[in-house]
Amino acid sequence: MSDPGPPVPARARGWCRDLAMGIRFAASGGREGWTRTALTAVGVALGVAVLLIGASVPTLMNAWHGREKARENLGQMHEPPRGDTTVRYASADTVFHGEPIRGRLVRPDGAHPPVPPGMDRLPGPGEMRVSPALRELLAEPGSALLRQRLPYKIVGVIGDAGLQGPAELTYVAGSTALRPPAGYRIDHFGKGWTPRPLTPQGTLLVIMTCVALLTPVTVFLGTSARFGHDRRERRLAALRLLGSDIATTRRIAAGEALFGSALGLAGGAVLFLAARQTAGWITLWDINVFPADVRPGALPAALIAVLVPAVSVLVTLFAQRGVTVDPLGVVHRRPAPRRRFWWRLLPPVLGAALLLPLLRQRVWEDSAANTTMLAAGSMLLLFGVTALLPWLVEAVVGRLRGGPVPWQLAIRRLQASGGSATRAVGGITVAVAGAIAIHMLFTGMQFGFTQAYARSGALPRIGYTTQAESWQQTERALAAVRATPGATDAQGVIEATLDTLPTSDSFLNLAIGSCAELRRVATLGSCRDGDVFVTQGRDRAARPGATLDLNPPFAPEDRPTPHPWTLPADARQVPLRHLGDGPDDHRYEILATPSTVDVRRLAMGDMALRIGFDRSVPDAVERIRTSMAKVTPTLYESSAVDNPHDRAYSGIRNGLFAAAAVTLLLIGAGLIISTVEQLHERRRVLSSLHAFGVRRSGLGWSVLWQTAVPVLLGLVLAVGCGLLLGTLLLRMINAEVRVDWPVVAGMAGIGGGVILFVTALSLPPLWRMMRPEGLRTE
Amino acid sequence: MTPSGSLLHAGGLYKAYGATPALDGAEFSIHPGEVVAVLGPSGSGKSTLLHCLAGIIQPDRGTVRYGDHDLTAMTDAERSALRRGDFGFVFQFGQLVPELTCLENVALPMRLAGTARKAAEAHAREWLERLEVDPVAGRRPGEVSGGQGQRVAVARALATRPRVIFADEPTGALDSLNGERVMGLLTEAARATRAAVVLVTHETRVAAYSDREVVVRDGKVREAVTTG
Repeated sequence: MSDPGPPVPARARGWCRDLAMGIRFAASGGREGWTRTALTAVGVALGVAVLLIGASVPTLMNAWHGREKARENLGQMHEPPRGDTTVRYASADTVFHGEPIRGRLVRPDGAHPPVPPGMDRLPGPGEMRVSPALRELLAEPGSALLRQRLPYKIVGVIGDAGLQGPAELTYVAGSTALRPPAGYRIDHFGKGWTPRPLTPQGTLLVIMTCVALLTPVTVFLGTSARFGHDRRERRLAALRLLGSDIATTRRIAAGEALFGSALGLAGGAVLFLAARQTAGWITLWDINVFPADVRPGALPAALIAVLVPAVSVLVTLFAQRGVTVDPLGVVHRRPAPRRRFWWRLLPPVLGAALLLPLLRQRVWEDSAANTTMLAAGSMLLLFGVTALLPWLVEAVVGRLRGGPVPWQLAIRRLQASGGSATRAVGGITVAVAGAIAIHMLFTGMQFGFTQAYARSGALPRIGYTTQAESWQQTERALAAVRATPGATDAQGVIEATLDTLPTSDSFLNLAIGSCAELRRVATLGSCRDGDVFVTQGRDRAARPGATLDLNPPFAPEDRPTPHPWTLPADARQVPLRHLGDGPDDHRYEILATPSTVDVRRLAMGDMALRIGFDRSVPDAVERIRTSMAKVTPTLYESSAVDNPHDRAYSGIRNGLFAAAAVTLLLIGAGLIISTVEQLHERRRVLSSLHAFGVRRSGLGWSVLWQTAVPVLLGLVLAVGCGLLLGTLLLRMINAEVRVDWPVVAGMAGIGGGVILFVTALSLPPLWRMMRPEGLRTE
Repeated sequence: MTPSGSLLHAGGLYKAYGATPALDGAEFSIHPGEVVAVLGPSGSGKSTLLHCLAGIIQPDRGTVRYGDHDLTAMTDAERSALRRGDFGFVFQFGQLVPELTCLENVALPMRLAGTARKAAEAHAREWLERLEVDPVAGRRPGEVSGGQGQRVAVARALATRPRVIFADEPTGALDSLNGERVMGLLTEAARATRAAVVLVTHETRVAAYSDREVVVRDGKVREAVTTG
């Protein structure tokens, strides 16, 4: 019968005792012990902070959406009856120098209107409450045009509860001019909203990002766990002499790592709390959140608290797997197995195999299968390079021969024990390859938007729409804009959508305007007020004499009362003036002069203005915006003047670059640890080399080459993999493949910097270890 | 100039580590082709004397003259160049570069002195043959026995044809059989090339290979028995 071993409680007690002993060693190991503990703690702290931030993404998005929904009530289909507790509420958004400003106008119907979050009462007529960020912007000297555009008296600041984020530019103003059809009547603020859990694909993407970010941290952790291992092994050998078995020594080593992990966990929490304070300064894709909204869910936080220290302990045990400590202090290291190429090639090939079918699709389809394939394929490709790197380093270094002595020393050292350097550099490849691929994706997307905006923005034009009150309103707006400096041209019509009667779902586009305005749309020939025209080559339903509905249903289930209107039998056919194939082209079936249609009977009648401007006039667009806001603040602007994507993508790309740079520095720190460790182990050889008369510079060069070779190979692999992945991603979305060469060069530059940084910091210990003290044997 | 006929001469050497003097007025000289054993108890200053004589460390006071050179007046770079060209070293253990093969280890000082790789390795192979370790030329130090490794180290010390060989406990890590073999080969090869050998040891058995013995005690060097 086999020995069942000690009972489970005794075994557990033994485990706890060994772990506790390890913790005691870590806490009382002197300067070196504390250095190792501190390094482990730093690695764990970074990992915990990154994971906590990742785990906060769903929560902060829910909070961000929740804040918007809690203060909003635009767009409902059925208005409540006017009463003491209702208020007319309209959007008055604007843009100032590219910054979007959320504006809301209110006009209470009675004495007890609802109040949105963040304020105790609604602003009175001519008053406004503003966000702190908008108050600052309004106070700036260059904001005169904005101050003219928002001519309300500031009576207070909107509290945090009424804002999505601390940097949000928003205001709520009381307006006596607000009247139907502008805005909506509401009796409360806040829309029903249930936070949606993250989809499995979204979860996968968050996990992938966290894993990609954590890889360098894990590498750093692995390196720091090995720090000072010779002294630890001597200590463990002493314990072996006292009767500890191998398993016990490993548990003691795990206990040491656990102590560092526990400190790291606490440090990570502090780092996370400090990092989230910066949330208010960051705006990505127009999302800016309060630090308090950056908080992980309870379950993810608990998992992080348990799993990260566990991973740290596992890394330590993994590092010990090839080492057996004998009671007499002899350390057996399992010889490094020969690296096989075929299985190392498997992950990247599998990754590419998952990604390639996605290229065949003409248009990217956002399905669960596609997202899973994309995430898994990208992950396999990225992590495949870390598997390939040790093989590549071994294959290249194994073939290097000759060269000067420093080069030979470095190459031989890499041939004999290049594992730790390669492991450290593995983190670089993931970080750099990922950063290059994502950079390429964003550069491609940004370039697409830039081109589109350049095309549509090539024509200096800005458009406005709002629900039409009357033709006179349009005339006033046109007059105002024509008097604005910088406005070169202004066209305006009232646009509406009509249906046939009985309904046929054959919607017709109507333009109402003076003869002068309609002549800009079509070649009319003779025209006077009272004329109606149908356009040539458009829908046959626009038949002179046909009865049309001015109040068509918004949705199939709607049954509004029809507002019949007869297309005059004498309506003449006229050709439209085409503006090209763009979205600005005229697409009307019917053109009518103002006296022929009662604008108030139109269900979907919008005043539509097209305004040209002169780019050479300073602030021409801002002047036009201010003029338009004075006429009707609830106008909706559509223009290609500001490309919001440019700012968003630039921010992300800069952030990515900074993150990659920090990662490279972290890897550099790991490399320093392993280099200094290696030097420490070789102090006797270094001293004897110095005795032979070897110059310090010679050994310095050997350290440089020893760092440079794996880093350069890692960078080459990372650039290749990053470009491949980036190309695949861009092809998937049918975007032009563009390489962000400055970023690639930047990454390579930082890689070079890491080499110099590691070498420079390794030189003082190198010289210290070359001292004659290392020759002493007594 | 050194006193008549001596190759290396040290006078009035004083070196302290903190408040404790390791050398306190030590005198030493050695002639070409002479083997001098430096004996003494642990901590007596034997290794410090060797390091001062070889220009590895600078004494606090006193002079070390080698031919026309005053080592105490030379810069670190000048002393390094002197060590590369004129001196050879054998230590107790750990002096071979573990990643290089035995052949490359022996060729290393010649390559550092500017000899081309092929020529350096050809010359190194000759020395490995002379010290009867040519079969392990392609192996790394970790793959050979202690005695073989020490003979490789002796070959490396002799390969540049140094005028002085400094050997610090060269047999300390070897059994008596291997130790005697190493000492025999070292002194034989040194005498053949007229190289002086400064042999630091605490074993009288090893000191027996020398022409002259000196004892370091309380930081001073005293003549012992002449074995010659």
